[in-house]
Amino acid sequence: MSDTFLSPEWFDAYVSRVNADPEMAAIAKWFNASWFLIADQTRKVICVEAGQITNIVHAPRIDTRAVFGFRAPMATWQKFISKKPPPLHNDFFAMLMRVPEFTIEGESLVAMQNARALQRMMNLMREGA
Amino acid sequence: MAHLEAITGRYVNLDIDGLSYRIYFEEAGEGPPLICMHTAGADGRQWRHLLNDEEITSRFRVIAFDLPFHGKSTPPGEWWLSQYKLTTKHYAEVIRQFWQALNLEKPILMGCSMAGAIVLKLAIDHQDELTGIIGLESSAYAPGRYNDFLHHPAVHGGELCASYTLGLCAPDSPEAAKRENWWYYAQGGPGVYAGDVHFYSMDWDVRDQVSKIDTTRCKVSLLSGEYDYSATPEMSEAVAREVKGSQYTMMKAMGHFPMIENYAGLKPYLTEALDHMLS
Repeated sequence: MSDTFLSPEWFDAYVSRVNADPEMAAIAKWFNASWFLIADQTRKVICVEAGQITNIVHAPRIDTRAVFGFRAPMATWQKFISKKPPPLHNDFFAMLMRVPEFTIEGESLVAMQNARALQRMMNLMREGA
Repeated sequence: MAHLEAITGRYVNLDIDGLSYRIYFEEAGEGPPLICMHTAGADGRQWRHLLNDEEITSRFRVIAFDLPFHGKSTPPGEWWLSQYKLTTKHYAEVIRQFWQALNLEKPILMGCSMAGAIVLKLAIDHQDELTGIIGLESSAYAPGRYNDFLHHPAVHGGELCASYTLGLCAPDSPEAAKRENWWYYAQGGPGVYAGDVHFYSMDWDVRDQVSKIDTTRCKVSLLSGEYDYSATPEMSEAVAREVKGSQYTMMKAMGHFPMIENYAGLKPYLTEALDHMLS
């Protein structure tokens, strides 16, 4: 279990992981979107350009725009990012189908247009990824 | 080292409801016929490990065919004039015509996911024509998989369908095997996975029929992966409760595609199920 999920330190490691990932380099050239993560009361915006994370907005304002995002209680996120996630929590599509408190918000079309790269980005959140 | 596999491929032509269907199938081995059927939006390549397993092919004639619109099976007639939507009735008819065309005597039917579902219907309606059924990831009712993005002009359908199904694999299944299945999904025709899911999530419901299966006439083995979030272990178990005399096993650390995502993990469970079919 990660006590630091969504903290600046966690994001430092996560951004490095995503931006150095060879699979992202191969598949995510056209992924251009800012999207958000919400865990309980914490909201963060991830800015992606050409498949690279270019900025993390730790304190989004009213003018911080994001196209889509995922919301879940922190306890649900902890299951998802654990090294060995339990059944129904091993993939964001699994949680969208079977974990009611995990929701997608905003323009889901953009998320699905980038599903392959987005899925890779989500899985890179996992401990030990 | 270069080597030839024992698998051979052929085509059979079927006439169903006034249309001609050119169906591709692969086979290997000798013995009682074991017909293997792929998941929604995929094709018979998912069974390549089983078709190459001499411990199985020395006991069974293993046959895997591609449904119409899938793999190397051609869409029939003027297919471009209508939207592909699989139905329970048509799906069952294609499978029955296939085993009849090949003169297969009392075959064992094995299907996964939507094919693990339809084998229940074939056992309900034609149990005296079968030795038994092996349902991988079976369910009597499976709503919730359909969405319009699966066939949408603004979305790459191949990538979405492949990624949508990748997470159905278990975390511990070999990465290369999961990605191979991803590749097969990415090669599906436009709207084919969506048309299959239309059957699976909207047309399919045999909850009030499965208890009609008489396992003294048609044996039933059900295997379900722990990580299958589409046809969950609870859904397969619910079928098993209704089918008296059926075998049900939950496979630990397995997902929705046992025969392709982790064949080595499936093998012990499959061997037991096949032994049951011959018992």
